[in-house]
Amino acid sequence: MLGQLIVSSLVVGSIYALLALAMSITYKASEVPNFAQGEMAMISTFMAFVMLSSYGLPFYAAMLITVVFAFVLGLLLEFLFLRRAKMPTPLNLIVITIGFQLMLYGFAGWKWGSDQRQINLPFSESKVIFQNDIFALTELNLATLIIAVVVLVVIYLLIQRTKLGLAMKACQQNINASRMNGISANRIMAITFGISSVVGAMAGILVAPILTLDPSMMWDPLLKGFAAAVLGGMKSLHGVVIGGLLLGLVENLFGFYISIEFKSVVAFAIIVLILYFKPSGLFDKHYVRKV
Amino acid sequence: MKRYTLHLVASLVLALGMWSCGGGEAGGTDEAAAGNTTGVTDTEIVIGSFGPLTGPAALWGNIMKGMDACFKMINDEGGINGRQIKFVMKDDAYDPSRTVPAVREMVQKDEVYAFVGGIGTAPCMSVMEYIVEEDIPWISPITGATHWSMPIKKNIFSVLPYYIDEGVIQAKYAIDSLGSKKIGIIYQNDDVGKSAVVGAKSVLRERGMEFVAEVPVEITDTDLSSHVARLKDAEADVVLLWTLPRQGVITVTNAKVINFEPQYIASFILSDMGLMHNLTKGAWEGVIFGSFATPPYQYDDPIVAKYKSAFAKYYPEDRWGVFPYGGFLYAQPFIDALKKMGDNVTREGLIAAMEGFKNYDVHGLTINYGPDDHQATRSMQLLRCKGAEDFEFVSDYIDSDSDIEGLVKELEAL
Repeated sequence: MLGQLIVSSLVVGSIYALLALAMSITYKASEVPNFAQGEMAMISTFMAFVMLSSYGLPFYAAMLITVVFAFVLGLLLEFLFLRRAKMPTPLNLIVITIGFQLMLYGFAGWKWGSDQRQINLPFSESKVIFQNDIFALTELNLATLIIAVVVLVVIYLLIQRTKLGLAMKACQQNINASRMNGISANRIMAITFGISSVVGAMAGILVAPILTLDPSMMWDPLLKGFAAAVLGGMKSLHGVVIGGLLLGLVENLFGFYISIEFKSVVAFAIIVLILYFKPSGLFDKHYVRKV
Repeated sequence: MKRYTLHLVASLVLALGMWSCGGGEAGGTDEAAAGNTTGVTDTEIVIGSFGPLTGPAALWGNIMKGMDACFKMINDEGGINGRQIKFVMKDDAYDPSRTVPAVREMVQKDEVYAFVGGIGTAPCMSVMEYIVEEDIPWISPITGATHWSMPIKKNIFSVLPYYIDEGVIQAKYAIDSLGSKKIGIIYQNDDVGKSAVVGAKSVLRERGMEFVAEVPVEITDTDLSSHVARLKDAEADVVLLWTLPRQGVITVTNAKVINFEPQYIASFILSDMGLMHNLTKGAWEGVIFGSFATPPYQYDDPIVAKYKSAFAKYYPEDRWGVFPYGGFLYAQPFIDALKKMGDNVTREGLIAAMEGFKNYDVHGLTINYGPDDHQATRSMQLLRCKGAEDFEFVSDYIDSDSDIEGLVKELEAL
């Protein structure tokens, strides 16, 4: 049972890692945790569902459209809402993201409200492709692990190895200085939100076959993603990924061996403990800003 | 500053205007009323209902849509004793803070004669006291909690079997008919799930047994790996399933992957067979679940066929299933009571007519009311899912003869 639990935890953990990464990317850029992240992923997943089921597009075409859609949705959040805020403080911006979240949730409830739906991906959530005495792995599990690793590597390379990544980092460190050096900071910010939205959408599509689609499908995963990000350190890219995997493991081992009743409290307890003892997270350096 | 004052004055004027209009309207209906009964004229009877047409529980809103279709069908057939039914339905998104104003509005503005339906324990609880105080008849609050009929309320009549009784019936069937020695339960960690635990446990206790695993799920939980692992580890051969559809799907799918395939007995909440079969991509086949009336998939039954085509007529975009069907069922006692009353429609008359139902059959559901019993039924029949719309009966009606009062106390002590 232990082997199975560890494998299941890593699969779930990689979903948390993707969501944590999505939050972390925009948090690094704007110091704002984007609470609309989950609902943006949910809407993008519905987009994929509509493309696959209603229009009957092949999987790859549907994914391409969904990625573009998710990217534009991220751009829109930044361009239409966050950028318009007058003299924004992080708190104002957080409230804006919550407002955006409610808008998306309301829209989805109106458009797809009453039934739960099943999305059909080319990899099945019930077909076991690998099995031994210790654990079983489904097609979807394997796809989740592979896609998560690919997305993580791509994001890492994007930020560490490209000019865009350099510009993103420059904007994070000193937005005025980067403007003076000819970086279009607004554009970089919008692109950051776009990328983050795409990463979130990937997580949404990968959990949808198990969770079934409805407007509230991302509440729990996002909360866990947020806890994972806090655990790993909101600003550390590898930190949030390890945080996601760790959270998946801790939750399930706790649930199985210690107490199933309190399993769902573990994530909250982690948020509180980390904020109390190591606010910058396990893997981020702690900076104290001097006035 | 000036602008704000202007806004304030404008909105005050507007509010006053609306208030006076509202008052005028209310006066108008009073005069038009034939007798003294609120909500009843020579040509119309106004009825209220509430439920989630949007939000996370919107699936159950289909019950209200079914009810609406039922009244539309009745109206098209000429109404009841010449009167048309005006069915006022409000969307509360399963949020009690929205149920309260919706119900007050229906009482004060729409002036309803009675409530029929109303979905969910928490929303119904939030308005129960008010409806009792106003003394408005309320037929079929759609929840399996015991609050509506225990202690008895003069104006409330409950149809759905108690969750506690359903737990009792499931446990009886698992032990007596399936011969199970190892029963596990996975349940949502709230009143509904705990009611089932208490009910089933009372039967286990009688037979000197215990659950091999009791696994609570929070209604927001989405990763159930360790929950399912616990059930498998306990080697349960029967698992009682008391979750929302999402967690039901996750449980069954996860369990199958790790080679754990017990006999599931699912609650009435999960009895939308078409939906569950579709969401689990067929893994729902073989699941046993309860029904307290002729199932909605028995298309050779003329009444089911009639309801199905009526629903398709008024809600062409919605899917037929146990929830719309439920809407028709829950409305039926009210409709028959109205018919019984004839021309003289009063609230007292309605209550008397309801209390007069003895061994009264609503498509398999046998209703027994009386002056000191406002709970329609305490028995259920079990079916097995054989496909998205295909089923077989696996038992006759099983009665719950549990000591319900004792079990309610046990539940409250949890």
